[in-house]
Amino acid sequence: MRLLLTISLFTLFTGFSFSQDCERIAQNCETLLNKDVKGGEFISDGQVYTAFLDREKAEFKITFFGGTTYRIAASAGSGDNFVIYTIKDLKGNILFSNRNYKNAPYWDFKVVETLPVTIETELDLDLKVTGCVVMMIGFKK
Amino acid sequence: MTTKHYLLILPLVVLLASCGGDEQEQNTIDEEVFDPNSSLNTVFDGKIFSIPSPVQTAYLIKQLDLSFDASLLNEDKNATSYVSEHQQALNLGVYGTDLGYSTLYDQKNISMRYLNAVEKLSSKLGLDAAFDSSFISRFEQNSGIEDSMIMLMSDAFKHADNFLKNANRKSTAALILTGGWVESIYLACELNKKKSSEDIKRRIAEQKQSLTSIIELLETYNKVGSNDALITDLKDLKTTFDKITFNYEYSAPETDTEEKLTTFHHTLDVDFNNETLNEITEKLKKIRNTIIKA
Repeated sequence: MRLLLTISLFTLFTGFSFSQDCERIAQNCETLLNKDVKGGEFISDGQVYTAFLDREKAEFKITFFGGTTYRIAASAGSGDNFVIYTIKDLKGNILFSNRNYKNAPYWDFKVVETLPVTIETELDLDLKVTGCVVMMIGFKK
Repeated sequence: MTTKHYLLILPLVVLLASCGGDEQEQNTIDEEVFDPNSSLNTVFDGKIFSIPSPVQTAYLIKQLDLSFDASLLNEDKNATSYVSEHQQALNLGVYGTDLGYSTLYDQKNISMRYLNAVEKLSSKLGLDAAFDSSFISRFEQNSGIEDSMIMLMSDAFKHADNFLKNANRKSTAALILTGGWVESIYLACELNKKKSSEDIKRRIAEQKQSLTSIIELLETYNKVGSNDALITDLKDLKTTFDKITFNYEYSAPETDTEEKLTTFHHTLDVDFNNETLNEITEKLKKIRNTIIKA
């Protein structure tokens, strides 16, 4: 039973440290949302996109609305280049991947006409294999 | 014995240890282990949902020069009537949208009333950390400075979202987002009835994918079936949205590496008729009125 207790405590501790890790990464991501911004700050869409990745991809659908500039910021730790994200259109064409820009932790997107897209997020396995990934999306007029 | 050996016998020891318990312990599965909302599962599920910010819809309404209509808002005095966490979370989203809408129209007195409603519900939901006294005083100090107020509000909702996700209360976070989305599209539909324009009609139609995300989100975090009725109504709304078609033409985006800016050059035709839009307006009104019912 002592072992069981040890395992339970370990599980609790691990869960707690994931949460703490994600919290720290979220704070890091928040600073990226308005880093070196030009012409008005980005307003958060009010969500913190979090996933714990272990050699896998997280995927979500989002609609970019026309007449808006968006910023996507991503972080998975103190290093700025752990996260790779790829934006695909309705037909599966790759519109952007930060992989082509040294895994840039933030990038801006000018959207003239509305566009539903899919964003795939993964860790750069050469740099980090497993961990919490946080993304934030901001917009401005 | 090496670490590897310990790891190999660990499952066996756990099994034996669990066999040592009493009959009741043997037959009881720890709810937390199988709860899809528990930390153990959610951190590994890799599922992320994106719901558009209601502030964006409020911005569009303002850009289109549609006049402010206070009668469309959920009465702030209702805030005290919401008893269940389900109702409180949905209506926190509703009031968040109403706060954004009134703030963008520089309705100071109304904004303060809705700020109070947001504060009441967030306190009931244990979100005092996001909507604390410093947030309230900063919001008041920035009264009249539209951009600052919107920024403060969006940040507070972001902190609430983060807090709820870290605290394994994703179902509550999902309901806040849903309430906010329903209210923002309700406002757009009602304002369109008063002064119709192609731009606002299109913006409503463009919500097709967002509705699908909301349904998936509610289904994923459906604590003890509490979202069942709402999901049924939203699926019915989706049957109308499904009549809208998107005709997309790809065009290569243009990237300015130095500016870290990519511009999308595609075209998207959104095909719908007024009948579909009227149906959306009616269904959405019914859903929204169910949500705000005290």
